[in-house]
Parts: sequence; C-alpha cells; structure tokens
Amino acid sequence: MKTLMSFIKKEFLEQVRTSKIIILFIIFVILGIMNPAVAKLTPALMKYMSEELAQSGITINEVTITALDSWVQFYKNIPMGLLVFILIESSILTREYQSGTLILSLTKGFERYKVIIAKTVVLCILWTVLYFMCFGITYGYNAYFWDNSVAHNLVFSVMCYYIFGLWIISLMILFSVMSNANTIVLAETGLVVFLLYLLSMIKKVKEVSPTTLMDGTSLVYGLSKAKEYNIPLAVAILTLAACLCGSIPIFNKKQL
Amino acid sequence: MDMLKISNLHKHFGTKEVLKGVNLTIPEHSIYGFIGKNGAGKTTTMKTILGILKADEGEIIVNGKKAEYGETATNRFIGYLPDVPEFYSFMTPKEYLRFCGEITGMKKADIESNSKRLLDMVGLGSEKHRIKGFSRGMKQRLGIAQALLNSPKLLICDEPTSALDPVGRKEILDILLNVKDQTTVLFSTHILSDVERICTDIAFLKDGVVSTQGKLSDIKTKYRSDEYLFEMAEEADVRRLLERFKNIKQTGNNQLIFNEKEGSVFEVLSFITDNRIPLVKMERVEPTLESLFLEVVES
Repeated sequence: MKTLMSFIKKEFLEQVRTSKIIILFIIFVILGIMNPAVAKLTPALMKYMSEELAQSGITINEVTITALDSWVQFYKNIPMGLLVFILIESSILTREYQSGTLILSLTKGFERYKVIIAKTVVLCILWTVLYFMCFGITYGYNAYFWDNSVAHNLVFSVMCYYIFGLWIISLMILFSVMSNANTIVLAETGLVVFLLYLLSMIKKVKEVSPTTLMDGTSLVYGLSKAKEYNIPLAVAILTLAACLCGSIPIFNKKQL
Repeated sequence: MDMLKISNLHKHFGTKEVLKGVNLTIPEHSIYGFIGKNGAGKTTTMKTILGILKADEGEIIVNGKKAEYGETATNRFIGYLPDVPEFYSFMTPKEYLRFCGEITGMKKADIESNSKRLLDMVGLGSEKHRIKGFSRGMKQRLGIAQALLNSPKLLICDEPTSALDPVGRKEILDILLNVKDQTTVLFSTHILSDVERICTDIAFLKDGVVSTQGKLSDIKTKYRSDEYLFEMAEEADVRRLLERFKNIKQTGNNQLIFNEKEGSVFEVLSFITDNRIPLVKMERVEPTLESLFLEVVES
C-alpha cells in the first residue's frame, strides 16, 4: 500500500511539474463559467441580432432564460472538457513505455498491477475533481441568477455523465496496455465512442449503450425518464470493471 | 554460493534465434564481464533475468530463487542499470532516489542515508537541478546510484561505459570496483580494456551460446599460446634466424615470433648465443583480451 501511494504521489508530481494539471484546471474552470455566461448573454445576443433579422422578416419575441438553458450549455460543453482530458492524459502509460522509465521501477521489484492501479486512480481523481469543480461553478452561478429546481433529475444526470467519464478512462487504460503508442490509444477510444454513438441511432442499441449517458439534456428537460438510463449505467459499470480487470493480466504479460 | 545461475536459456525474436541455450554461473562477489559482439544477445539475456522479456525455454535462478517472466519478486535482489537509463526528468536526483526507495518499500531513514552516500559517491551530491538537463555521463552515474540504492545482491549493468568519454568511463569503472565487496556485479561490454581493468571473471557470448567462461586469469592461462617474441638489432641477423628456423615468423621491423609447439625455444637461444647475435628484446607473448576475443568470438 505504501509503495502504491509513492507511485501515485509521483504521478501527481508529474501532473503538476509538466503543467498538465494547470491546463486542465483552467479549461474546466472556463467551461464552468461559460455555461451560465452563454445562457445569461443569450437575450442580449438575440436583441442585437433581432434588428438584422427583422429586416429579413423574422421577428423574435422576448426570450426568457432559466437555469435549464445553462444546464443545456453544460451538457453541450462538457464533452469538450472530456475531449481535452483524453487528449492530455491518453499518454499516461504509453509515454512510460516509449521513454523506458517504467523499466527501472519494475526492475526494482515494484509490482506491475500497482502501475495500472496507480494510473487509474490518478485519472479517476483528476476527472472527479475537474468534473465536479466545473459542475459546482455552473451550479453556483445558476443558483445566483436563476433557480436550479427547474431542472429535472439534475443530480442523476450529472452522475450519469460522471460515470461516462470513468468509463472512457477504463477504455483508455485497456487500450494503453494493449498498444505502445498514444495515437493508437486515442484512435481506439475515439472509434469505440464514435461507433457506439452512431449505432445509438438504432433504438435497441441506445437502450443499452453507455454513450446514452452523455445525453443529460433530455434528462434535465424531463424528456427522458431516469429509469431509461439504468441499463446503460449498468452496462457502463460492468464494462468499466471488465476493462480494468482485463488490463492487469494483459499488462503482466506485456513485453516492455 | 552462486548468485546467478542460468541454464539452457532460449529466446527468439520472429524467426531469429538470439539465445540458443545460454548457460552461465556467476559466483558471489565477482565482477563478471559479459563479453560479446553487438547483437550477440547480451541485453536479451539481461532483460530475461529481470523478467522483462519472456524466455522460450530455460531456467534462471537468482540468489536461490527462480525468476519468472512478468513477475518482479527476484528483482528485489537485483539492481539494474540499462544501457541508456531513463528517469523521470521532472525530478531532481534526490527526489528520484527517494521515489525508488519508497516503491521498493525501504525505510525512510535508510532511503535518506543511502541516497546521500550514493549521490556523494557518484558525484551528484550537490546537484539541485532536475534530471531533464543531465548529460549522458551524469545519467549513467545516477543510474548506478539508483541501482545500488537498496543494497542489491546482484548489480546488472548493460554496457555502462560504451557511450561515455574516457573520463566518464574511468569514473564508472572506479565506482564498480568500489562496490565489489558489497555486491556481485554482472556487466556486459565490448570494451575489452574495461574488462581487463576490473573483471575477476568473464564469459564470452557467441552465436547465442556462452562459448567460454571462468576466471579471467584461468582463461588467460588456458589460451596462452607459448609464443616468444625476439627483437633483433640488425636486419641481417633476422635473415639468419629466418633461414635457420623454418617455424619462425617475422611480424614487424626486426621482430620475430617463435612458437614453442614446433620445437624448443632453447634451440633458438643457443643459436643466438653460439653466433653471438645481439638481441634487443626477448619476451613471452601474453595473450591479450583482444586476441582472446578474436579467437573466441570471431573464429
């Protein structure tokens, strides 16, 4: 346990000293602020544009903004945050293979499975902190400007997207133990999400696919019921566990 | 006791068979030179000992325990210095050694005292900069420090001196010589002068098998060629000797080589004294490692 903690400590030191954590922090703060800001600015933008639109015969009525608009922005923008997170962190294992830094740790008797655990824990902690910080900022502004209670299933929808993020992390770890280049990790993770997203056009797939968890907008609008997300949630958690459990034996047999 | 015993080790990459049954025994407290041409399989053997590469066949016993691929239990006895060691460049040497100590479960006090002693020994004691800007020599020295941190029973160095300038090489060799009492050293190289300077035992790796192994002095004796070198003062005398003895060969300016397999050296000596031939020098030719290397590895 102590040895595992030391490796986790090293991972965080690396995140700080290579400025990764700062970049992610700034991006998630900006996203958190942007959600209510865009919602707040919408009426002003509309008014500005309405004069031009009026000339072409379109009239715009007074728009009323609620916390819902801000939450819709949240679900529009958070994929951007997740994408940046993946781009920055996808090399968490592969860069150690390429530089050979892992060899020295392993040849000292540090167990291989602890490498996987440490990297997973670090990614999960980072995602948890960044995601809920972004959520907290949006929540705070929304509470100040409007009223959060208009959103349906808010906590549930937020948890769904959070689990989706963890699911992506588990895919990244699995693909990282299977390949040596982070471009392959990125391509494979992207491909899985893209294919599932495409296949979700089919209703039967949508009912089980973890990508359904990304659709928080339908939940907060009350267009979808929470129970419709139960199966995707269960599928995500099961595949997440399978990916992580599978990564360890694969990594144990990996030639470094 | 034997620190390391390798029996019948086989390994292939694709269709190329790199190791074809390596047998190697390393006694405790020796400095073992592992000699072979580039691509002979030295690094492959070392990585298999460390469990980084999977052997096709064979057994490796480190300090009485079997080494297994993918497992790192026997690595607790081993300190390893790769040919090009790579560290976490965002750390300082001190931080790196602390990290190494922590992941191997060393006590805090031991980490502190050992790191300080080792960093001073390798001349990085006052280095406060991050590893990022280190030269190869500095990295190699830090590599030795990290390898020795948990007082390993066996230190494995993969060509520790090949990429270094003469000063850097001397520093590394001195360090290896220094730690001989505490640990057994196995180091691969193709620089023969390094081997002559510090090794007690050697093994030649050729075509995937160990062709010769044992004490350096024993091997030298075994390969002693019973050759004598004569250096004459006058060229005319060289010709006289060449005419008289069929089995004498001219090797250089006024230099002759006589091999005792083909007659006694005393015949030559009595010819020289009888004819009062002035002699500049006469010596028994000692085999150099270079000639040994050529004989064992190239033949």
